[in-house]
Amino acid sequence: MSQSSELTLVRLPESVALHARPAGVFVRRAASFAAAIDVQANGKRANGKSILEILGLGADGGTELAISASGDDAVEAVAELASLVTSLT
Amino acid sequence: MAFDIVEYPAMSGHVGLVLVSHSAAIAAGLAELVGQVAGPDVPIVPAGGGPAGALGTDGGRVLEALRSIDGAGAVVLVDLGSSVLSVKAALAELEPAEATRFVLADAPLVEGAIAAGVTASTGASLAEVAAAAEEARGVAKF
Repeated sequence: MSQSSELTLVRLPESVALHARPAGVFVRRAASFAAAIDVQANGKRANGKSILEILGLGADGGTELAISASGDDAVEAVAELASLVTSLT
Repeated sequence: MAFDIVEYPAMSGHVGLVLVSHSAAIAAGLAELVGQVAGPDVPIVPAGGGPAGALGTDGGRVLEALRSIDGAGAVVLVDLGSSVLSVKAALAELEPAEATRFVLADAPLVEGAIAAGVTASTGASLAEVAAAAEEARGVAKF
């Protein structure tokens, strides 16, 4: 059954910008879900499974990300990715 | 009568990347960067520089890089001009069946390699990794 998740807001740790390495961690986890994943920050929108689009958000440490998903495992995907964002180093 | 499902070992493992630049330092540095972002599972082989360490490209070095890739094959990314010719020459040296394990991507080198590397790290197919590299042409940097 298809599901859609609520928009979940999560803040990057103050000391971690969504630069190449942490963005890679995020995208690789996002890609492990079947659901389509959408991330918004700084008024921009990115496909959560595209490293280049995630880097293009230009999200500095402390930026609020809005994560949502649609697809079979959408709820689980958003919960796991939100938790991952807060634990990025 | 029951049938066993046979999994072919040739398709196991992650798709790799071969990075071809006129500069050995660019190819090696990019391999290091992509390795950081994509993680340790993706084979990344730099093939930069001309014969005798000069700037340029070397079909022989590219061929050696291609031959070092096993299993799932690799997407080949290039910087400019004669890099393309060197890769085509190297691919022509391979047996036709062998050459089908490689895709030369028409993509920007740095962004294409990052996108392809991260996609390959998820266990994606050769075609999916090549598509990720080529999509890099259309993604704004900021």
